[in-house]
Amino acid sequence: MLLSRVAERLYWLARYIERVENTARLSKIHSQLMFDLPKSVKLNWYTLVEITSNEDYFDEHYDARTEKNCMWMLLGDRNNSASLISSLWWARENIRTTRDSLPREAWVYINEIYLYVKDNLDDLQVRSRRNALLEKVIRACQAISGMLMGTMSDNAAFRFLMMGQLIERADMTSRILDVGGYFAAQEYNPEEVEQYGSILWANILKSIGIYFMYRQAVQIEINGNSVIEFLVYDDKQFRSIKYCADKMHELANILPNSREVLKVIRQLQDLIDQTPEMEAGSTSLHDYLDALQLEISAIHNACYRTWFYPEVEAVSGMQSVQ
Amino acid sequence: MRTALNEYKVGTGYDEVLSNSGQPTAAASELVSHLNTLSLSEVKELQKNAEATIAQLGISFTVYSDEGNIDRLWPFDLLPRVIDEEEWKQVSEGLKQRLKALNLFIEDIYNDQEILKAGIVPSEIILSSKDYRPECAGMKLKHHSWACICGTDLVRDGSGNFYVLEDNLRVPSGVSYMLENRAVMKSVMPDAFRDISILPMNQYPYELLSMLRSICPTDTPQPEVVVLTPGIFNSAYYEHAFLAHEMGVELVEGGDLVVGDDDCVYMRNIDGLQKVDVIYRRIDDAFIDPDAFNPDSVLGIPGLIRAWKAGNVGIANAPGCGVADDKVLYAYVPDIIRFYLNEEPLLPNVPTYLCSREEDREYVLAHLEELVVKPANESGGYGLLIGPKASQEEIEQFRQLIKDNPRNYVAQPTLCLSTVPTLCDEGVEPRHVDLRPFILQGSKSYVTAGGLTRVALVRGSLVVNSSQGGGSKDTWIVKKEGA
Repeated sequence: MLLSRVAERLYWLARYIERVENTARLSKIHSQLMFDLPKSVKLNWYTLVEITSNEDYFDEHYDARTEKNCMWMLLGDRNNSASLISSLWWARENIRTTRDSLPREAWVYINEIYLYVKDNLDDLQVRSRRNALLEKVIRACQAISGMLMGTMSDNAAFRFLMMGQLIERADMTSRILDVGGYFAAQEYNPEEVEQYGSILWANILKSIGIYFMYRQAVQIEINGNSVIEFLVYDDKQFRSIKYCADKMHELANILPNSREVLKVIRQLQDLIDQTPEMEAGSTSLHDYLDALQLEISAIHNACYRTWFYPEVEAVSGMQSVQ
Repeated sequence: MRTALNEYKVGTGYDEVLSNSGQPTAAASELVSHLNTLSLSEVKELQKNAEATIAQLGISFTVYSDEGNIDRLWPFDLLPRVIDEEEWKQVSEGLKQRLKALNLFIEDIYNDQEILKAGIVPSEIILSSKDYRPECAGMKLKHHSWACICGTDLVRDGSGNFYVLEDNLRVPSGVSYMLENRAVMKSVMPDAFRDISILPMNQYPYELLSMLRSICPTDTPQPEVVVLTPGIFNSAYYEHAFLAHEMGVELVEGGDLVVGDDDCVYMRNIDGLQKVDVIYRRIDDAFIDPDAFNPDSVLGIPGLIRAWKAGNVGIANAPGCGVADDKVLYAYVPDIIRFYLNEEPLLPNVPTYLCSREEDREYVLAHLEELVVKPANESGGYGLLIGPKASQEEIEQFRQLIKDNPRNYVAQPTLCLSTVPTLCDEGVEPRHVDLRPFILQGSKSYVTAGGLTRVALVRGSLVVNSSQGGGSKDTWIVKKEGA
């Protein structure tokens, strides 16, 4: 038994925690790349704004596309509802309003990291301290996810947390692949692209913490195509879009009234199962990732119609319970 | 070594820890021995730990102000307040007696009105009360439990005797802070709990749940209980969530509940609708059902009163309880106890002048400088006049208010509230305190072991409300050695 309102908040809470972690990882990796890659490679701080679909907000509120501005918008800007601090705040609010469904530590953990980041926002302005802060955020998010895994029951509340985490993760994986694609698509100076390609893809894997898993699964040298394959199609990697989709299907199957949601998840699975061969950096990759993102957002909408805001036929519904 | 207490100067009036001669009171002797092993700087360090724990646990409350609502950390003073167990037993009996009589009174008011017919309480007091709800007429409740949860405010006067200051029968709050204060204290000062026998209080949520189940009007074997909150923006939201969590029941908002054509209450779940049997509501009467009371309420559940009257759902506290929580009616509580229970009140009232009575009013108007004047129907310490501390202008303002609307004001002598050592900037100083124990009445009565002690942090101040700069302390009911 779970209130629709609580289910919605749990779902969002998991999405926000996953988003906070991924935003921190994305920012960290981007800094690494900026330092590793030669100046002639056209990768700049604004790319981060584009990956996270924040162009409109940035252009309206900031002037120069500097490291400082881009990082602040992505991490510390409270007016940007998609920033790390805002996501952290929302995660905290959602825990605050669902505390009765969660282990008590959930609130203590989120509160601790939120207060820490809030009190140390200035660190975001200084490169050396920024990375340390982001590292701390990543660890806190993992502690929260791990604690929930270790202390909850496999109940409806937990399933909605999982659902939120998986949907956010699938979305973020597709965005991270887009970064790689963006770089690989640089047309001028192909030699440098070639030369630094492996640095880029290795960094991308490291950014989401799965470099080692990739190394175990894929024996050949790191290149764009094999990383894309791993992150989209691998059926054992927790962060691959396929794994997320399969897991969502499993979850929806045991949640009530899930016919429509299952249908939409099936559409995402079908799109993945087509396993088209795509060159890293091709427009077809970008379009494919876009299509995946659309299917993911269709699942989100189906969750709303099914569980969070169903059109309750008050009287007939009640009869069935009676 | 400068200890926490060796430079402590007892103020005027009754100090609960040290007597005028500097000797510890009987109840506080073990606490004093314990504190004497600590230097002042160690005590300050512990206070910092306590504050860090509160921040980490996120114990907060909301203050409403013109500048917007601020979520503030809960103000806590490390130095506890101690009460002897034997004395507390007497107080508990008095509290149970009082609530039992008040519940009989409420049921009588909505039924036969025997007490009005007998002329013990004047009818106009009831009929002019904005909390009298004619919609409740004819209702009889299981165990006569109308006010199932009561937070009575107690004070000690200059001689150390306990008095009832007011009965909070509507939606009393503060119990979660009482429990959190204890949790903080145990983590910061564990040694004290090893050395001193302090009665535990953390069974409150289970007592609350069992009381709520006992008022279920139907014979459902496992009644579904929910806590109804106005939502995250309410100042006591923290407490609503805390209690729901501790009881393991759903915390719901108005929008989560719906009343069906069968006059039953349901909550909206991911798999459809589920019946609700008992609602612990933390929303004022006026807002719980737009069909019955305030039609503009967006917090409430249309049809809830209909479901309650049909006997399909229990509501704690029941609608209409406020009629017994009124500063005018307060003056009649001793007579109410005698009328229904045929017993003498075990806990005294503070003498109270009703401005609606002509002779009382004349006395009040002539002695405004010495009295505390309270509006009959406000809570949270708002709209109060403390005569001895008021300016001439404020006194004149209240003189006019009383003349314009005498029914709305009561006055009491300014009590010299007891003091307890409190950690202040300059060291440990006496500060005035009150006490809010919580009383439950369902199939049985229960009183918390102690309660929420509130402390006026400003020197000499008598205002203890957290929304107006008050703090709080852990309250220890201690067993005497050998007892």
